[in-house]
Order: sequence, then structure tokens, then C-alpha cells
Amino acid sequence: MSGFFSFARLIQVFERYHNFFFDGLKTTLYISFFAVLMGTLLGLLFAFGKMSRLKVIKGICSVYIDIVRATPLLVQVMIIYYGTLSLGWKLQPTELNAFFWGMIAVGMNSGAYMSEVIRGGIGAVDAGQMEAARSIGMSKGKAMRYVVLPQAVRNILPAVANEFVTVIKETSVLGMCGIHEIMFRSGDVASIGYVYVETYVIAACMYFILVFPVSKLVGQLERSMNKSVTR
Amino acid sequence: MSQGKTLIEIKNLEKHFGKLQVLKGISIDVHQGDVLAVIGPSGSGKSTFIRCINQLETPTAGQVIFEELDLTAKKVDLDKMRQKIGMVFQNFNLFNNMTVIDNITAGPIKVLGVAKEEAEKQAMELLARVGLSDKAKEYPIKLSGGQKQRVAIVRCLAMKPDIMLFDEPTSALDPEMVREVLDVIRDLAHEGMTMIVVTHEMGFAREAASRVVFMDDGVIMEENEPHEFFANPKNPRLKDFLSKVL
Ligand SMILES: Nc1ncnc2c1ncn2[C@@H]1O[C@H](COP(=O)(O)OP(=O)(O)OP(=O)(O)O)[C@@H](O)[C@H]1O
Ligand SMILES: [Mg+2]
Repeated sequence: MSGFFSFARLIQVFERYHNFFFDGLKTTLYISFFAVLMGTLLGLLFAFGKMSRLKVIKGICSVYIDIVRATPLLVQVMIIYYGTLSLGWKLQPTELNAFFWGMIAVGMNSGAYMSEVIRGGIGAVDAGQMEAARSIGMSKGKAMRYVVLPQAVRNILPAVANEFVTVIKETSVLGMCGIHEIMFRSGDVASIGYVYVETYVIAACMYFILVFPVSKLVGQLERSMNKSVTR
Repeated sequence: MSQGKTLIEIKNLEKHFGKLQVLKGISIDVHQGDVLAVIGPSGSGKSTFIRCINQLETPTAGQVIFEELDLTAKKVDLDKMRQKIGMVFQNFNLFNNMTVIDNITAGPIKVLGVAKEEAEKQAMELLARVGLSDKAKEYPIKLSGGQKQRVAIVRCLAMKPDIMLFDEPTSALDPEMVREVLDVIRDLAHEGMTMIVVTHEMGFAREAASRVVFMDDGVIMEENEPHEFFANPKNPRLKDFLSKVL
């Protein structure tokens, strides 16, 4: 073998092992989708928790968010993966078990980031909007639902889409606990074929296929935001 | 001068923001049909006073008794009481995510449970009254300040309030739009709407108000019917204030 990179070799690797790559792509896609879904729900929960008047709830949410944001995802994944193993919380087959707990770990991680995004979005809505809603007799809940949250959602859509992008890319650490995502599958290919650079270039393409449309969408959202009805 | 029954009784109202005492014991009654104009220098506590009435600010002491219910009491259902107390803000605060008509029907539909068609019919009638029928489907950002404020007033009226609070409703407006808003408020006054209007428009206070109140340093320094108030001010601070603004 010669040269740092050969396109012909890349094609060769892809032709022979494309099943591996698409398999990894599928897993990455699924895990990102569920993690983002969970992250959004947890994010809402923690955002409202942190804005709660109850000191205990507020405290718990703050501590959780701080810890998650100040430690690496890989460490969190390992703790949850081996932690649940040693507790005997194991699903069958092993591959599904890894997938499930990996998804939980990424979802919990994303929830912390998402909650800060959501809280920022709510905070950015002018306080006068809430006051006006309360002044016509809306409860706090109704004011949130009909007036504040719809405006907050508009504000944060680009940041949320960005978080989706981050989650997709960060799932690349999940191979470390045996989840058959893109990086894990690429590792398989590399060790079978002894071809490294080309293999990981293909892996990069896989991520690009997933992420690029989403980040394009972010740009589009940001542009349409600027001419939207809100200030 | 006021013959109507007492709508609001304010007793020894105090408000602190931390160490800063903004309201230092305010007592006043508002009767049905009263148009109370509140004037005073910047920072004297006018906004705080009016916001304490519908409990957007929680008073630190004293009582606000509205239709025989003490709004400062723990158990009172404020959401219910606020349906009857309209408020118009200096910065309009129209709901940015809703069209004009949705701004107006939000209260009746979501709070009072009025049917959509009925609420919209009523909203269109109210919009026609303030000359904004053609703006029903616009979003607030497309309106001028004067138009926004007229919509904000209509949004209040849709709740059929017993009293309306105005906090400097024309202060954020370009001069040429002040009049269109004051005309609407004046019409409401003539129709007998009870209201408290914090304002810098002395002409309006003189013509439209049934009583004028001068606030300074967190207390009511003087209160009178408009003619006497402006012709024979007694408090030296008021004399000084009037000499600057008139
Ligand atoms: N939420 C708050 N927290 C702390 N201080 C406040 C708050 N709201 C008002 N104040 C202070 O209370 C005082 C009175 O404010 P207020 O807005 O009631 O005055 P105002 O008479 O309405 O003045 P203006 O004519 O400028 O509107 C000011 O010194 C202000 O800084
Ligand atoms: Mg004010």
C-alpha cells in the first residue's frame, strides 16, 4: 500500500463494506433521534424545574445541569453503561442493551443543554407579555401556553436545531461501549481491511450526510426568523 | 362629587423593593364612574401604585379592596378578579405571536370561555369603534404605536371590565398619535367607564378627569377636582411641578 490517501482504495473499501457503514449510519440516526426527543422533554422539565419557586426542585435541577455540563459525555456514558450493568439492569440482547443505555445517557446529557436553551428562550420573551396576559385574567399556565411559550419556541428553534447537530456528532463516542454506530462500524472495517484513512473518510461522509441537512435547516430557520412577525 | 358606589378602596398601601420604599402609605377610594388622573414626577411611584392595584406588584402592606374583596388577602382568586380590572400599558404589550383579532379574543375565549364566533363578532365591533376594522388580521409589528395602543384598549374592553387602569398610555407614542389614543380614552370616560389614568397629559387630566391626584415621593400630596386642582394648587411641590409642566 502506498500513499496517504487513495480514492480508488476508498471506493474499494466502500464497495466491499458498505453494509457496515449503512448499518452504523442507521444506528447513529436512531440513537440521535431518540436522544434528541428525550433531551427535549428532559430539557423542558429541567427548564421549568430551574424556574420553580420550590427551592428543592430548583436546587436539584441546577446541580444536575451543572454536573452534566461540566463533565465529558464519554464519562457519563461509561458511568451509566457500567452502572446499570452492575445493578443488573440488562436488556437482551447485549447490543440492544448498549443501544438503550447509550441513548439514555446521551438524552440525559442533551437534556441539560436543552434546558438552558429553553430557559434562555423563555427569558428572552419580554416580561410585558406575561404581565399583559396575567392582567386579562390568564393563569400563569395559560399565559405560558398561549403567549410566552409560542414566542420562546420561535426564539430558540435555531439553537435547538444546533443542539440536534451536536447530539448527532457526539454519539460518535458511543462505540466505546459497544454500540454499533458509525465509528464502531468503521473500526470493524478498518481492522478487517487494514485501511484506516479511507475508512474514516467514509465515516466522515456518513456524519456529513446526517448533519449537513440539519445545519442547512438551521440557516434557513435563522433567515426566516429575521423576517418573522416577532421583534 | 362622586355619587357612584365605591369600587376600589385603597388603604395605607405600601411597597418596598428591598430597602427602597416606593409607596409610603397611600389611601384613596375610587367610585363607580370616577376618572382618576394621577400625575407626578418621574420615579414618584405612579406605575408601582397602579400595578399594586391589580397585584402585578404585590404590596408589602395595606389593602386593595375591589368590589368588597381584599385583593391582598392570601386566598383571593386573582385571576378571576383581574378579569374585571383592565390594564393598558405604556408599551402596549400586545401579544406578538397573535394577530390583532386573536389578541382581542384571547381573553374572552381562553379565560371567559366565550365561543369563538361570538368573541370574534364582538372583537370586530370593538375594532370598528376605534377605526381599526381593516387591521384585524395584521400582526402587531405591522401597526403604528397609536394603532397598537388602540388595540390594547380594545383587548381590555373585550373582557368587559368594571375598571380600567392606564399607565402612561401615550408616553411611548409619537406626538401625532397621542390624540387618537386620548380620544378613545376620553370617549370611554364619557360613557361612564371607571378608570385610573397615570398621565403626563395635563390637558387630558384637566378635561377628562373627574379627580386629579398628585403623587410625589410615594405619597399622595394633593387631590382635587380638576378645576381647583389646576387653578389653586396648594402643595408647594405641586405648584413647582405644575410650573414645570404647564
Ligand atoms: N421592580 C423594581 N425593582 C426595584 N425598584 C423598582 C422596581 N420598579 C420600580 N422601582 C423603583 O421604584 C421607584 C418608583 O418607580 P415607578 O416606576 O413606580 O415610578 P413612576 O412614578 O411610574 O415613574 P415614571 O414617571 O418614570 O414612569 C423608582 O425609583 C424605581 O427605580
Ligand atoms: Mg411609570
